[in-house]
Amino acid sequence: MHNTYKTNVEIDWCPGCGDFGILNALTLALQDLRIPNENVVLTGGIGCSSKIPHYVNVYALHTLHGRSLVQGEAVKMANPELEVISVSGDGDGLGIGSAHLVAAGRRNLDMTYMIFDNGVYGLTKGQASPTLPYKENIKSLETENIKFPVNPIFLALASGYTFVARSYSYNIKHLKETIERAIRHKGMALIDIMQPCVTYNNINTKEFYDKRLYDLEASGWNPVVNKGDDPSVKISQAVQRSMEWGDKIPMGVFIQYERETYAERLSTLIHGYGTRNMVKEPIDQNGKPVANIQEVMESFF
Amino acid sequence: MKKDLNLMVAGPQGSGINFTSDTFAKVMARQGYYVYTNAELFSTIKGDHSYFRVRVSDQKIESYSERVDILIPLDAKSVIIHKGEVSDDGMIISEEKVDDKRFATISYRKILESVATKFNKNVSELNVMKNTVSLAAALKIVGIESKNLKDVITENFASRKIIAEMNNAVVDEVYNEFSFNKTFSLPPVEKKKRMLINSAEAVGMGKVLAGMKFQSYYPITPASDESNYLETLMDKYGFVVEQTEDEIAAINMAIAAANTGLRSSTSTSGPGFDLMVEALSYSGMTETPVVIFYYQRAGPSTGMPTRHEQGDLKFATTASHGEFPRVILTPGDNTEAFYDAVDSFNIAEHYQLPVIVLLDKSMAMSNTTTEVFDLSGVRIDRGKLVLNETSNYKRYKLTEDGISPRTVPGVKGGIFTIAGDEHEEDGHIFSEDPDNRIIMMNKRMGKMNLILKEIGENKKVKFYGKPENKKVILSWGSPKGAIKDALESFPDISFLQVRMIEPFPSEEVMKYLKGKYVIDIEQNYSGQLADLLREKTGIVVDSRILKFNGRPMAYEELMDAIKKAQTEKKVVLSYA
Ligand SMILES: Cc1ncc(C[n+]2csc(CCOP(=O)(O)OP(=O)(O)O)c2C)c(N)n1
Ligand SMILES: [Mg+2]
Repeated sequence: MHNTYKTNVEIDWCPGCGDFGILNALTLALQDLRIPNENVVLTGGIGCSSKIPHYVNVYALHTLHGRSLVQGEAVKMANPELEVISVSGDGDGLGIGSAHLVAAGRRNLDMTYMIFDNGVYGLTKGQASPTLPYKENIKSLETENIKFPVNPIFLALASGYTFVARSYSYNIKHLKETIERAIRHKGMALIDIMQPCVTYNNINTKEFYDKRLYDLEASGWNPVVNKGDDPSVKISQAVQRSMEWGDKIPMGVFIQYERETYAERLSTLIHGYGTRNMVKEPIDQNGKPVANIQEVMESFF
Repeated sequence: MKKDLNLMVAGPQGSGINFTSDTFAKVMARQGYYVYTNAELFSTIKGDHSYFRVRVSDQKIESYSERVDILIPLDAKSVIIHKGEVSDDGMIISEEKVDDKRFATISYRKILESVATKFNKNVSELNVMKNTVSLAAALKIVGIESKNLKDVITENFASRKIIAEMNNAVVDEVYNEFSFNKTFSLPPVEKKKRMLINSAEAVGMGKVLAGMKFQSYYPITPASDESNYLETLMDKYGFVVEQTEDEIAAINMAIAAANTGLRSSTSTSGPGFDLMVEALSYSGMTETPVVIFYYQRAGPSTGMPTRHEQGDLKFATTASHGEFPRVILTPGDNTEAFYDAVDSFNIAEHYQLPVIVLLDKSMAMSNTTTEVFDLSGVRIDRGKLVLNETSNYKRYKLTEDGISPRTVPGVKGGIFTIAGDEHEEDGHIFSEDPDNRIIMMNKRMGKMNLILKEIGENKKVKFYGKPENKKVILSWGSPKGAIKDALESFPDISFLQVRMIEPFPSEEVMKYLKGKYVIDIEQNYSGQLADLLREKTGIVVDSRILKFNGRPMAYEELMDAIKKAQTEKKVVLSYA
């Protein structure tokens, strides 16, 4: 079937870049879910990975470095009918944009956040990113990395993400399915995607991941918290699983649970929020404002 | 000279000074008097010395006075600090007996004890009602009937009936027991309903009327009052007010919500605006209609968070890397702030660019009697917004006027790509073609001339006084009030208020200033508008009256300064 979710814009990623696999998986997932193109908003930050909105035939916001997620959240809040997907590089999401990553968990909007995790700042020529392991000396660095890496899975669990997963850009089937599950999940979903950078990261390569990544769920882990159960028990077990890194690296869904979405919480403060479409609601009638502020003015007499 | 009365309430922050002054102001406004208040507070929640002024007159007033007629000190320190400001025939309402004919003694304790007995309470529980004692005393001195005060108290404590009753019993006790040998009689006025509001409230009402649906903010003095006020209205009018994780998030959210099709804005002060600058340039590049309300306070850095200044004019006009069009409006009072709030969204959506409205601490915190807004002329202009199915769509399509039709997500056939990188008509970024760069720069920057051509003179400048006057005062923003009050004594001096700073209305400004003796008045160290004037028009001002001690101008000090400015090149004000 023709993929109607790809644009015909020429792609400027390096040949062999892990980002291609993510583009394929994402567009296949959208195709599978049959969400009308015009109802999808895809936001990116700045980085090689963050250029992906140009390549997907949906409403595209190519934002600022680190601001992909926060702009995606606002789109969802402004029009909850839209399907919103935000993407970031690991630098974009876990470095400069990390305040938004934490805050987004607290909101729990019904949307999806994908992190393209390659251990480097690709677009600025391979400096260490927040996920590059301690003491790794990839070829683009002058010296070994002297910072400890952040654990995106653990951070997402701690921040309140209600769906947290890891996947892999060279396992398109797994990634496509994970994206679909994330989109279908009602709440804030994060997917940390292992994405080799063929140009700058000669350690965390396809060979590196191929032999280490194993399917967490196939090996018996059930990430789903039953309705009504306290999620904290499973979250702490998931935290433990998130610590695995070495010869074996788990991929799959670490946690999935339901909690009031931000739209539900907003509707307790703003009567009818989410049932009316604020974008389509007219604010004027033949140029005259529809809001009546007479009473408000009189409240100051 | 206008007949006026000036009340000052002074004491430790958190001791109820604002209750006392706000209630006094409200009661006087309801009588039909004009009221102007000034709040001087510390950047702490409790403890430090603060003071509020309330000026009342039978005629319109727009600034505070140096003279204090009635002082209500809520602690001993306040007497020491402010005694000197009280005029010779003024009054200091105090518990102590002092050998100074200005002191009017009232026994707080006796009054509170008597009320406590009536309500079967311990007098310590009534300590908080000390403010009511002095408030009632002040209103009695001014000749206001107790009922007027009791009505306001009853409204204030609508949800706590017993508190209202006890306070009102205190009022009765004061009116029965307290006698004094002086009165301050203001000329009688006819009752007229006016709003008693500050500019944060005026802006809030303007935003609601404009159909604003999304406001994001991060708490900061003196801007958050506006957002907090909007929070009280969001249920009734169905819009979102979002407190974000920081100002970077606030502006980015407002931008994204605007690109989703909502009228969106954010409100902040200097330190927050600093953080928003990168996204400001993004909104310029992406032609996003976003509105920023910028309440200045004394900088640099954290500066004096609760104090007044107009130090950010130049910053607001140039903030960001690169060049892009923006509009900056500079209202000088509540009414202008209200209409500017509506206009800001119209301009932002019509021209598809960021609009900044510059206000300041004094405007945000001074309550002023304001005539009910005339809504008959208010219009909504959403520009080239496309909400229905379309085809062959390009977000940055080249058009005659440089403004492209704008779709929003959800519109069939309207899929867009928005990018902060230089882009082509379709929003894609990959050519970096030098000719395209020139075309796109011209497209965006061309809006500046369009705006200067299309926006009427009355939105750009306002001129007061006789055109033939040889001397003209130049100013912008909140000094307007003190200038207008001071100028009543100078019929041979006119006043040009600049209402739009960017794009700079050189033509109109030159029309009024060319060949005149120009006196620039600003609340900053250097005279930023005067410098901008020279850059844009070549006109060099003759004198600058500046104030940068964190306090707004009193009209008397300004009168002195205007006299001096007729011969001196620079006059610095320092009244506090
Ligand atoms: C505010 C700001 N600082 C720095 C940059 C330069 N910059 C562009 S991309 C990038 C890093 C991108 O790394 P990442 O997010 O991991 O994406 P990748 O290129 O690896 O996909 C940086 C630092 C920028 N564009 N904006
Ligand atoms: Mg990266």
